Amino acid sequence: MLPLDWNAVDPQWAWEPWVATTESPWDKPTIHHLYRRIGFGISASEAQRKVEAGVDATFDRIFSPTSDAEYESTSSSIAKSILAGGNLRQLSVGWLHRILNTPNPLVEKMTLFWHGHFATGADKVNDIYAMQQQNETLRKYALGSFAQMVHDISKDPAMLIYLDSAYNRKAHPNENYARELMELFCMGEGNYSEKDVQELARCFTGWEVRRLQFRFNRFQHDTGRKSLLGTKEIESGEQAIDIVLNHEATPKFIIKKLFKFFIADEPTPSDRLLEPLVKQFRADNLQIAPVLRRMISSNLLFSEIARNRKIRSPVDWMIHWMKGLDISGNMQLLSEGLTQMGQSLYFPPNVKGWDGGRAWINSSTLVARANAMHRLVHDGNTRFDKQSIGQYAQTLKIDKPAAWLDHLIDSNLTVTITAPQRDALLESVKSYPVDQSLKEILCRVATWPQTHLA
Amino acid sequence: MKTTHQLSRRLFLERSFLAASGIGIGSAIGPKWLRGGMLNANDPSGRVLVVIQLSGGNDGLNTVIPIRDPEYKKRRPKLSVSQADAISIPQDLALHPSLKGIAGLLEAGQFMLVQGIGYASPNRSHFESMDIWHSCTTKDKRGRTGWLGRWLDEKQSGQKSDSSQDALAMHLGAEVQPFALAALDVQVPSLSSIEQFRFKVETDPQLSRSPAKMNSGKNAATNNDLLDFISGTTESAVKASDRIEKALKQAATGGEFPDSQLGQKLQVIARLIKAGLQTSVYYVTLDGFDTHAQQPAVHAALLNQWSEALSAFVKFLNASGDLERTLVMTFSEFGRRVAENASDGTDHGAAAPMFFAGAKLNQSIVGKHPSLTDLDDGDLKHHTDFRSVYASVLNQWFNTPAETSLGGSYNSLDLFL
Repeated sequence: MLPLDWNAVDPQWAWEPWVATTESPWDKPTIHHLYRRIGFGISASEAQRKVEAGVDATFDRIFSPTSDAEYESTSSSIAKSILAGGNLRQLSVGWLHRILNTPNPLVEKMTLFWHGHFATGADKVNDIYAMQQQNETLRKYALGSFAQMVHDISKDPAMLIYLDSAYNRKAHPNENYARELMELFCMGEGNYSEKDVQELARCFTGWEVRRLQFRFNRFQHDTGRKSLLGTKEIESGEQAIDIVLNHEATPKFIIKKLFKFFIADEPTPSDRLLEPLVKQFRADNLQIAPVLRRMISSNLLFSEIARNRKIRSPVDWMIHWMKGLDISGNMQLLSEGLTQMGQSLYFPPNVKGWDGGRAWINSSTLVARANAMHRLVHDGNTRFDKQSIGQYAQTLKIDKPAAWLDHLIDSNLTVTITAPQRDALLESVKSYPVDQSLKEILCRVATWPQTHLA
Repeated sequence: MKTTHQLSRRLFLERSFLAASGIGIGSAIGPKWLRGGMLNANDPSGRVLVVIQLSGGNDGLNTVIPIRDPEYKKRRPKLSVSQADAISIPQDLALHPSLKGIAGLLEAGQFMLVQGIGYASPNRSHFESMDIWHSCTTKDKRGRTGWLGRWLDEKQSGQKSDSSQDALAMHLGAEVQPFALAALDVQVPSLSSIEQFRFKVETDPQLSRSPAKMNSGKNAATNNDLLDFISGTTESAVKASDRIEKALKQAATGGEFPDSQLGQKLQVIARLIKAGLQTSVYYVTLDGFDTHAQQPAVHAALLNQWSEALSAFVKFLNASGDLERTLVMTFSEFGRRVAENASDGTDHGAAAPMFFAGAKLNQSIVGKHPSLTDLDDGDLKHHTDFRSVYASVLNQWFNTPAETSLGGSYNSLDLFL
């Protein structure tokens, strides 16, 4: 395959809605591809149900989040007990429960996207309620208004603490939040001057946190003349945020990041390819759902060009295995495993969040992925659809290790292996009892390079 | 929170070291192929560079202080270090009081500070500025590789195949691998810890096959460089995991290192160097220098961690006879603003000093401290480009050309013996 050149892709074709054809049918592999991107994978039986439901019904369902009373009540009682416990490291357990059981995978996927985007580290914030509150804000706006989300996040206690806005006083403005709002949250580096950073910091002076609430301290607000990005006479921080949001770089920056998240890690897409989406996002007043629907129901997403162009994040990788095989188990173990794989929820590496793509993969994180699967499979609490691995295989009418291997390849991998490699693996587990051989096959498939691609 | 985290980390590191040392192999005597004549200090091919990256923007002005300059106290009414607390060094300068270990190294001629380092049109974004330090280029001209990565590619292409079974470079840390190490052909392993670097599962035989072979599946058309990259990394993980375990058994005695994260990482590196691993570059980071608020305590603790870990490292290698062939370089993506802010902190700045430790240093203080009055938008001005410092490392320390690595020609400073 030649190196990908986004300039060679026709933007008009790219963003037209995809229509199933005989060469490119709405079948199980296609549905697995879609759910790897918009969610965290699905099981073979669920994929079969989507085949029957059809394309339009599936997308309507994806974009009309439903509420499931039992799921909501379990999720909130888990969250309550974690908050009561006060251990920041436990927060991820509550979120992982949501990710694993949500009826609305795209909402959780986007909440994760925004967590990486408005990255806020629990170690510095050091307040479990503030972190949980921010997570709920990100979920509330996951598919909603980007503009409103930026306004809310700018007053979010966890963010104010994380980026020191809480200390932003008129005598000596603190530039931390002002800089990152432009560089990382909205516009991207290179679209503003150092003077803009200083001016924007002045606009935010007096934005404080008191008892986990945003408070405007007018005594600390710089009321002098301020100008930002060519606009003079700025009165308030809110007005300054609107100027940043209305800057032409903002929709471009967000669309590019969404493209990398949903379509392909690399190379960076050309402006020409993104232009139709950028235009729409701007015209929609930065509403996320419509442009996202266009992006992920497009010719491009379903085409061969976009297949295998993503490296799975640790959460993607682990949850995909669990959803694909109906695995439930010790969530604490899962959370620790994710930390070793380099994706500790609520503890992003820095304000830029996780880089994604190749940055997920190094020798340590690969060893961690293999070891996490080994631990999960051998842990006493782990169940496959509430059964042992052997009983589970039986319910799928799998009676031989070879059939189990094929099942794993079909439901998880995007690139398969050669016949001799397949034979060698089966040969090496030949002498094991059934359950152990099924476990061993799963652990080894999980070390294959192919399993990290989406 | 922090204490338990560090404690558990220390405990498990100790555990893994005990496991490694429990085998009972003597520390000093290794097999000949490991401690052979090729590790001669005067033979640049056996030389080692250890890079310590201070992430977040170290406040250079409170690290190496122009203590007699009245402007210093004037610009830093709350954050200035008092003359009584600071550690005096030559040229009317002083070190932050947390740098006692480093002051000792300086006195012993094992430490060098190089002042006024930066680059033209300084960028105050952490990420862009760090990328500039890593890649030696600005965003518009940036490719896939970092300066050390390009150097590693060159080194590997000049080597006979199979001349070493060790990784040419290694990154220790749980953070994303620094871009400086990104190479086209050389795979640089990252180790988050020794314990986490052992496969629990028996690795599948296919993992050691070449990526090309692995890619010949039924969907051959969908093969791509992401998969090649993952395959290559998997292969090097399997190899390195094996090799490091063996090497650590070689240099079992750990010496006395602080319990800090940096201390523990430098201890692993010291043992790998002592064991004669043929790795030329080790890379570690110490994060947290982005001191926008409440700087004094945070900065003091970080500098102390750096100073204690580095002096233990130098002591260990001096005793083992490996200091002669080891050079430690410390840098940060930028310094901080001269004037303090309202939250007992400092915002992003520009020029700052770089630091070296080793046995082959030419001087102890190189270059002038930048002026506190002639500023660039409130920030110190650099007088020496960081690429000149890199050039000195590549030319003088490694005795290799620097142009490809730095993407241009830069004058070396006369830094090393």
